[in-house]
Amino acid sequence: MKQEEKNFEQGQFTLTMIPGSFARKMRTCILWQAFRFAVINIKMLVVVSKSH
Amino acid sequence: MARLIVMGGGVSGHTTATFAKKWLGKDHEVVVVTPNSQWNWIPSNIWVGVGQMTKEEVVFPLAPVYEKAGIDYRQAKAVSIHPDGKEGDDTPYITIEYTSSDKAGQTEEVTYDYLVNATGPKLNFDATPGLGNGEGQMGSHTVSVCTADHATHANEELQKIFDKAKAGEKQKILVGTGHGMCTCQGAAFEYIFNIEHEAKKAGVRDMIEIKWISNESFLGDFGMGGLHMKVGGYVVSSKLFAESLFAERDVPWLIGAHVNKVENGKAHYELLDGTMGVEEFDFAMLIPPFAGVGLKAYAKDGSDMTDKIIAPNGFMKVDADYTPKPYEEWKASDWPRTYQNPDYPNMFAAGIAFAPPHLISKPMQSVNGTPINPTPPRTGMPAGIIGKAVAYTICDMIKDPNAKPHEASMAEMGAACVASAGKGLTTGTAAAMTVYPVVPDFEKYPGTGRDTDYTFGEIGLAGHWIKHILHHMFIWKAKLKPAWTLIPE
Repeated sequence: MKQEEKNFEQGQFTLTMIPGSFARKMRTCILWQAFRFAVINIKMLVVVSKSH
Repeated sequence: MARLIVMGGGVSGHTTATFAKKWLGKDHEVVVVTPNSQWNWIPSNIWVGVGQMTKEEVVFPLAPVYEKAGIDYRQAKAVSIHPDGKEGDDTPYITIEYTSSDKAGQTEEVTYDYLVNATGPKLNFDATPGLGNGEGQMGSHTVSVCTADHATHANEELQKIFDKAKAGEKQKILVGTGHGMCTCQGAAFEYIFNIEHEAKKAGVRDMIEIKWISNESFLGDFGMGGLHMKVGGYVVSSKLFAESLFAERDVPWLIGAHVNKVENGKAHYELLDGTMGVEEFDFAMLIPPFAGVGLKAYAKDGSDMTDKIIAPNGFMKVDADYTPKPYEEWKASDWPRTYQNPDYPNMFAAGIAFAPPHLISKPMQSVNGTPINPTPPRTGMPAGIIGKAVAYTICDMIKDPNAKPHEASMAEMGAACVASAGKGLTTGTAAAMTVYPVVPDFEKYPGTGRDTDYTFGEIGLAGHWIKHILHHMFIWKAKLKPAWTLIPE
């Protein structure tokens, strides 16, 4: 059974979503996360500047 | 020469005091009254709670910082406010009781021209029998991550659980809120997933059942009524976002719960449908509800006038609309803008210390009439922004008492939140989120209450890097190191 399928055996989790192996890998892929780091920081700076 | 007293040296109070002193210079006095000798970067306490940071990494002594800034620092707790002075002297003052070792117990009257209440929360453990020790402190059945010392103790207990798991004994961990009216679900959220992450690293995840219990009517409420955010191009409810992480990490949840009693290894609760239950545990971290610190206020003739300036929950009344009204009539404009007390314009409350007009989340009660709903979070970025706005206002008022106060409504400001889901330079993750505005405005943003162009969320290593960088950045800022004013709140 795939890891993302396993937890759907639990009734409470049936109606939610669980990331598959690619999505999980991208969470800690250094190159991709370095790009996301830049994007998230820009988004946060925009919200911070709107709030001050 | 004017004197500003700031009661409290946390995120909000420290921000107010340091900016005020910077702008006022030597011409005026800034006094900080706080019972603590150290400043604590609270968002990192969860890492202390799992042994990924030490207490020394999240605290630093206040005295040298305030001395460098020219701030008069009194290690004392504020006890009472006398906004009209006393018989024969109209000068307003507060009474304080020293907590420093050299003056412990000594009381003093300190006069002021401007007063800021930034005293933060009283950790009201005793609101739930068994959660507290009956004397205002945390009890022995559960742990806490609300302070650095609590978090250090929490980690010590957690490691015992891991040792038992390694020895082959199945363990049960329960994390969440310890009362139906708690806030700070975010801290519990971070702690549960950091425990899960550490359990995996230790190779004992399959020996440990981890469960969530909270007063939210749906996962992802976070005390803000939930939010709708952009995730991967979709506008997603925080309910789905949160449930996904819980499901992914195999952490079942029990929500809509008011924990009404804690015993050794047991948390008794009531649900919204009136069901009573018990969750057993080997280790539990349950956030206590917050209350005001218990400040009293007295009139000139010595009569008690606490009710005039302090709300029943112990937080200070400010320029909010406190008119009781049903949920359907709540408006963004109910929330305060200047944080001035309406009766005393030289008195302010910042951060957690101000009394919110009502909840943000939809009020809920069980069929037995028990209120079970999160109270509003007022920490982090909003607390700092409010503190700075109050400092601005006071500095302007010192020059011109009729100066227009600066505004910082939580219905017009956003927040950037980073919720750690596990620490590790290459293996950690965190949910990086922005929400704009913090308090939803359904008139301006029908449907979601927030601007989805500026409300987003994402889980990944980048979020973890951001949280770790923020740890260092905000401690740098709080220590008033070079260019500290360039770091936004």
